[in-house]
Amino acid sequence: IPGNFNSFLLSSAWFAVLTLLYLEISMRVGTAPICIYGQAGCPSSSLADFFDRVIQQSSRMHGISSSLHSESEQNFLPRRNFIGKRKCHTYSIPTPDDKENAQRLGREQMIEVILRLLEAWSDPLSQFHLSMSPDQDQDFNQYGSNKALEISDMLHQLREGVTKMADKMKILGALGNSVTFLSPESFVPVSDFSFYKRGELNSVDHHNLLFCLNRDANKVKNYLRVLKCTTFPGTDC
Amino acid sequence: MMKNVPGSLLLLLVINVTLDAEKIGLRPPGKPVLTMCRSPEKETFTCWWEPGSDGGLPTTYALYYTKENSDAVFECPDYHTAGKNSCFFNKNDTSLWVNYNITVVATNTLGRTFSDPMDIDVVYIVKPNPPEELNVTVMEDKSWPFLRASWESPDKADTRSGWITLIYELRVKLEDDGEWEMHLAGQQKVFNIFSLRSGGTYQVQVRCKPDHGFWSEWSSTSYIKVPDYFHREKSMWILVTVFAAFIFLIAAWLIHMNGHSLKHCILPPVPGPKIKGFDKKLLKYGNSEEILTALVVPGFPPTTSSTCDDLLVEYLEVYIPEDQEMILEESKAERDLLKSEALRSDNDSGRGSCDSHTLLMEKCAQVKETDIGENPVMKEKQRHQQEWNESPLAYAHKDLLSPDMSGGRVKTWPSVFSPLPQQSAATLSQTNPLVMAKQHCHSDSLFPLGSTSSYFNHTAHSTEEAHRHSEFYTTNNHPQKLQARSDLNISNIGYSETPTSLQLPPMQPTSYVEVQEVNRDNMVLLQPAVSKGCCGDGRIDNREDYSKVKGMSSDKVLLLQRDVVSHEMDLSKEQKINGALEADSSSPQVSTVSPAQNKMSPTVDGYVDTAVMFTLPTH
Repeated sequence: IPGNFNSFLLSSAWFAVLTLLYLEISMRVGTAPICIYGQAGCPSSSLADFFDRVIQQSSRMHGISSSLHSESEQNFLPRRNFIGKRKCHTYSIPTPDDKENAQRLGREQMIEVILRLLEAWSDPLSQFHLSMSPDQDQDFNQYGSNKALEISDMLHQLREGVTKMADKMKILGALGNSVTFLSPESFVPVSDFSFYKRGELNSVDHHNLLFCLNRDANKVKNYLRVLKCTTFPGTDC
Repeated sequence: MMKNVPGSLLLLLVINVTLDAEKIGLRPPGKPVLTMCRSPEKETFTCWWEPGSDGGLPTTYALYYTKENSDAVFECPDYHTAGKNSCFFNKNDTSLWVNYNITVVATNTLGRTFSDPMDIDVVYIVKPNPPEELNVTVMEDKSWPFLRASWESPDKADTRSGWITLIYELRVKLEDDGEWEMHLAGQQKVFNIFSLRSGGTYQVQVRCKPDHGFWSEWSSTSYIKVPDYFHREKSMWILVTVFAAFIFLIAAWLIHMNGHSLKHCILPPVPGPKIKGFDKKLLKYGNSEEILTALVVPGFPPTTSSTCDDLLVEYLEVYIPEDQEMILEESKAERDLLKSEALRSDNDSGRGSCDSHTLLMEKCAQVKETDIGENPVMKEKQRHQQEWNESPLAYAHKDLLSPDMSGGRVKTWPSVFSPLPQQSAATLSQTNPLVMAKQHCHSDSLFPLGSTSSYFNHTAHSTEEAHRHSEFYTTNNHPQKLQARSDLNISNIGYSETPTSLQLPPMQPTSYVEVQEVNRDNMVLLQPAVSKGCCGDGRIDNREDYSKVKGMSSDKVLLLQRDVVSHEMDLSKEQKINGALEADSSSPQVSTVSPAQNKMSPTVDGYVDTAVMFTLPTH
């Protein structure tokens, strides 16, 4: 007799489960696939999707640089008078500093600027990573060393991505042939390179470097976004 | 503007000099504080400051700034657009990714006070305006409504060119309810809200933020009322209720069906009192008197008269004696005796009961108060025989007349043809059939008697049927214990000694003993069949019907015989009383009338009608 009761309980439990499943399924909202960027089969989505991925990469890089900078800001309070004299090694690269200038620049120049900026940072970042010595500022160095490595990789990938995108745009006819992406030396003056090659970078140099990195990452991100909305208007713009 | 400053300072100086008396209440202006600088669209920005104390004098404020990597000092281009104590930088004056160093100066006649400088980068101080055109509508999804909220980016923020990228956040609240429910919408400008309460009114707000910047203020609240979809909900609740009721009914039915076993499972019954023959319900409904009377069960506790004797099971084996068969049956009796012994020990299931042969033996030993062993018994036998020979009558008489002493119970009436030793044995006419008595040794009295009398057949059978065992009671009705011995000994002795004595007397018409009555104590009172005498006592009026102790065997075997001789009737009469005459257990004496027998006329046939053989240990 207890067996009967147990079997009844089991069957009623199954019944309840099935009923609930039915109710849930019947109330589910139907969905239909939308052609969004990144999906195969959508027309002319490859470049835009690629653009989006590049932008996401640049956004990530900027995020890391921001966190690095804020960490450095906590660990090292810069002297006030020093801030005014800060100079980033990329200062010689002309970059638009407002919207009108950026829009006036054109796509090819924009890509050029982006690439120059990215190029200008590959060496200093590697130097920065190497210069993170354990004796100075233990916590930050450990954190900064990992992040520097990460950012270095991101930078590299971003450079490749932008280059690839430029090639695609060139193929599509969005870019004229006047843009030439030559060797890195053509972009950055030699003096800038020596800026960081003076020797071991101390903490002040670290802080300055991170500050400049943060700013330039932001520039790159912004320029890419402008580029995308200029090239592909209407989507997320 | 620049020229005015020295002019105003000069004026203040003059005032200071002229109003020396009032210098106490006048001070240079307090230090102004730059509170914040904000840019709504990353193209312009505004800075606000908080003026310090004015020192009692009219104070003017000026904002100066320098740009990064340049020493040129510039003053605020617009003090008015953004309101009081503010400085508005238009697009031409705004440069991104450039550090501004801003200072506010408060000036009154007594002095100037500089504020702390503030470093800003316009890119990081962006705080957009709230989103605009928030629109919330109710949408239907298979009669489960939901809200769709849509909005637009703030007007000034140029998200279209990609210059600024905003992310949005939504919050929803039931009207007059507690807390807001936050939803991050990302970069999209449309959002769906589900799981609404039927008939409720919701408030919706939205705000935005650039990817690195400050959140905007919340937009204006948009109210929306959700229509009632009660009917839809109701149908679901009806379904749920029906389902639950169904399950409940089934469960109740199952419990009802299996209630009894479930009850036993959960609450096992407590064993209650069980009294044989007692109705438990009396405890519930009866009064105390009824209960007490009910408790008095007839037959319990056992009365004095009932002893283990009642429980003793005895076997009687009666042989119809024939003269010719007598001899044959002698041996047969022996064998039967042996068998009886064997059976006796085996037939009983209760080992500890009175029926137990072993117990009987023990009891026999216990009962024997006299230290009569087997050897003494023999001696006694001899002695008794001698005595008997000498004055058998006396003995018999004595024994017969002493029912009190010798009142013993004779369980059976086997007329044991115990051959008395020597002459007595010879005199014994044991032609009569022997009544083999398979007798269980009684707890009180043990009478293993082997011989049976044929006379006893008829009566014995009836008695057997009536009672398994029969007793001879003495006159005083007090059963006295008889000592018994093993049958084997008795019979052997009896038989061995005088086989010749077992010559059966010439056949006489056997006189039977009939059962006179059966006592409630399982006592069978015998009486010669002819006599119509009464008495449970066994007294027989008719002399002729008396059985006379004919002889005595070696061991407690009392031979009764029917004595025709009148003069002996007295003897036999008394003898008849119980036949089983035994003195106390101490020294049972068998009185056998063997000498008397001798004296008796030869007409005395050796029939022993009711012969009870007693094996007396003393004999």
